[in-house]
Amino acid sequence: MKNIIIYTTPTCVYCKMTKEFLAKNNMPYTEHDVASDMKARQEMVDKSHQLGVPVVDIEDEIFVGFDRAGIAKALGL
Amino acid sequence: MFYDLVIVGGGPAGAGAAVYAARKKMKTLIATDSWGGQSLVSADIQNWIGTPHISGLELAKMLEAHVRAYQPDVEILEERIEKIDSKNGGFVLISQSGQTIEAKTVLICTGSRRRRLGVPGEDKLDGKGIAWCGTCDAPLFKDKVVAVIGGGNAGLETVLDLNPYASQIYLFHRRDQLKGDPLTQEKVLSNKKVTVIYNAETQEILGDQFVSGLRYKDSKIGAEKTLGLEGVFVEIGNVPNSDIVKHLVKTDEWGQIVVDHKTQQTLAKGIWAAGDVTDVLNKQNNISVGDAIKAVLNIYSYVWG
Repeated sequence: MKNIIIYTTPTCVYCKMTKEFLAKNNMPYTEHDVASDMKARQEMVDKSHQLGVPVVDIEDEIFVGFDRAGIAKALGL
Repeated sequence: MFYDLVIVGGGPAGAGAAVYAARKKMKTLIATDSWGGQSLVSADIQNWIGTPHISGLELAKMLEAHVRAYQPDVEILEERIEKIDSKNGGFVLISQSGQTIEAKTVLICTGSRRRRLGVPGEDKLDGKGIAWCGTCDAPLFKDKVVAVIGGGNAGLETVLDLNPYASQIYLFHRRDQLKGDPLTQEKVLSNKKVTVIYNAETQEILGDQFVSGLRYKDSKIGAEKTLGLEGVFVEIGNVPNSDIVKHLVKTDEWGQIVVDHKTQQTLAKGIWAAGDVTDVLNKQNNISVGDAIKAVLNIYSYVWG
């Protein structure tokens, strides 16, 4: 199973949709709240070169926003 | 596949249309890559009739569930439609993945998307300090100086989204008076963090890797000024998503599809439209649903008439 990291804020709808999509497909993920975790925020910026959430890191493949098709493809769904 | 009706779009208009079309037993397909429309990102919708409070995400789920309850009377294709052309008195639609769908009638419920500033720096710094969703990205601007562009309701609400986080908020407005609801205006104007800059025309978003400032023109005195800041939230209205049918229907100077407001029929035979993509005067969820239902009832008479 691929290692999935997701960077979120508590208020972000697309973050919720991304997490629900992963959960529905039984894909465990590690979540970092970049509103409170400054180290994770910097990590997200370094990986995605931008400031918007969600950012999904699937073993170094980076998705910005809820990219359902892209994420599904990366996970072989 | 050949359908009596293909509904394009899954916002309130599309969902409302799908439910009514299914109940009329028309052979119907709804094609959409997302549910709920533009309200999806709203933290709290207070005017969806029957529910004093509902989040945009909850509303989207309710709309989707209501449509799904009518499967298989309505079929669902979770893809965007990329192309529509007329063929033998009906229509042929091509989806994102290249599927071909044929239909006797089409109902366009594609809504609208956010208007962009169209100034230098906007494309380069998009997502790099330029943000489009206050509820999503406000926490990322903790202790930062930010700008909100647009003094209508969406702009005012974005100011309130940013208020718990940003250290200072500049609200740029093109006119000499704000436009949003008076109640929200009061909240914004009484906030010590907020400075409203009136008669401001944004000229350029500055920054190398990330946003570092904004250059604007004071249209009253003609002077240009630059402010140092790290975030820009753009809330300057919407553009209708009418591009896929522009070659078939009549649109007005803003790109809105012109419809007969009694029936929602466009000026092209066999095509109807409802919701924010049309020249309806008020862009409202409740109105979009009602208009889409008017359309379906009229389409029903056309299909069986």
